[in-house]
Amino acid sequence: MTMSCENRYEILLDKYLDGEINQEDRLELFEHMETCEDCAARLRELKKAVMLVQSSSHISAPDGFTESVMNSLPNQKKRVTWKKWSRQHPFFVAASLFIILMVSSLFSVWNEQAGGDISVQGSRNVAIDEDAGTVTIPEGETVEGDLTVRNAKVEVEGEITGSLTVINGEKYLASAGDVAGDIEEVDQVLEWVWYHTKQIAGDVFPAGRESKD
Amino acid sequence: MDAVVKRLIKEIKKEGDQDAFAELVDLYKDKVYQIAYRMTGNGYEAQDMAQEAFLRAYANIESYDESRKFSTWLFRITTNLCIDRIRKKKPDYSLDAEIQGTDGLTGYSQLAASQNLPEDQVVTLELQEWVQQEISLLPEKYRAAVILRYIEDLSITEISDVLDLPENTVKTHIHRGREALRKRLGNA
Ligand SMILES: [Zn+2]
Repeated sequence: MTMSCENRYEILLDKYLDGEINQEDRLELFEHMETCEDCAARLRELKKAVMLVQSSSHISAPDGFTESVMNSLPNQKKRVTWKKWSRQHPFFVAASLFIILMVSSLFSVWNEQAGGDISVQGSRNVAIDEDAGTVTIPEGETVEGDLTVRNAKVEVEGEITGSLTVINGEKYLASAGDVAGDIEEVDQVLEWVWYHTKQIAGDVFPAGRESKD
Repeated sequence: MDAVVKRLIKEIKKEGDQDAFAELVDLYKDKVYQIAYRMTGNGYEAQDMAQEAFLRAYANIESYDESRKFSTWLFRITTNLCIDRIRKKKPDYSLDAEIQGTDGLTGYSQLAASQNLPEDQVVTLELQEWVQQEISLLPEKYRAAVILRYIEDLSITEISDVLDLPENTVKTHIHRGREALRKRLGNA
């Protein structure tokens, strides 16, 4: 191989193998190779090397590759997490939705009751004003024993010898009024909801079922 | 295919849809794994690199320009990862070259052993091991160009996009890689 082969014909060989040789150069190259065994051998060897690389059988990704990638993904966006989580825990999703629905319906039932009738236990010597939502123990009147009032504002102008319990209302003690025993205001809503939720939970999560999931 | 890929990428960009991403992985896993395998010369590293390439693609999907080919972008991530890995291993290169060659054999050897192939096919497998070993010995830049050209069958223009190199540089890398392989494989 001469210097001119290394320069000129090496370049032409590369062009030929790249499929970028023009007709004129191509003729020149093949004419040259008829007399230059070095360049002819070089072309054979290059073609063989390329053929061997091209014939490498194609390799596929190993089994479970996609799963492995998916398991390595960083934390998913919230929406998707919830979607995926709910797919994996359908029981909890159903139960949670059920509780949410039940509690909200309990509240609506409760609100209806809250606007319900005024009831007074313990005495008849009181003035009930349904429209104003008040129960008044008039001045000079004495209630013997305990008094329980629901769903009303209680104004004590007279006296109560026992205790006063106001359920779902509020008390107003006039300066002249007097309650000998305790005064208790009960906001029933929380207790009531708690009570009913426990009942529902008992139905939804029968004993032992919860730990399984 | 292109329409499917576009739709999947939209879904991934919009809401990080992982089901769409899983489909995308399925579509490209073999090509990405193949590049990684040919670049690193062994199955464990190939899996590692290919997986990392997909994780990076997912994390950086916002930066993918949809006016360009997705495969080009994905292959660029893959080859960059592999080239980095190969360079990091360089210090003990002389020692590595032999180990790397041996590692390259395992895939095929196991295949030959496990499938009880007739003798002529085992010879073919041995030949392939040898070819892979020689590819693994190429400098990483030439290696990437040769793999993309002759195994993935990409055009010079596509390779220039993947490797982010001018077309003439890509050609030079292919010529030099080809010449090195000629010396090792040409007179077999
Ligand atoms: Zn010559």
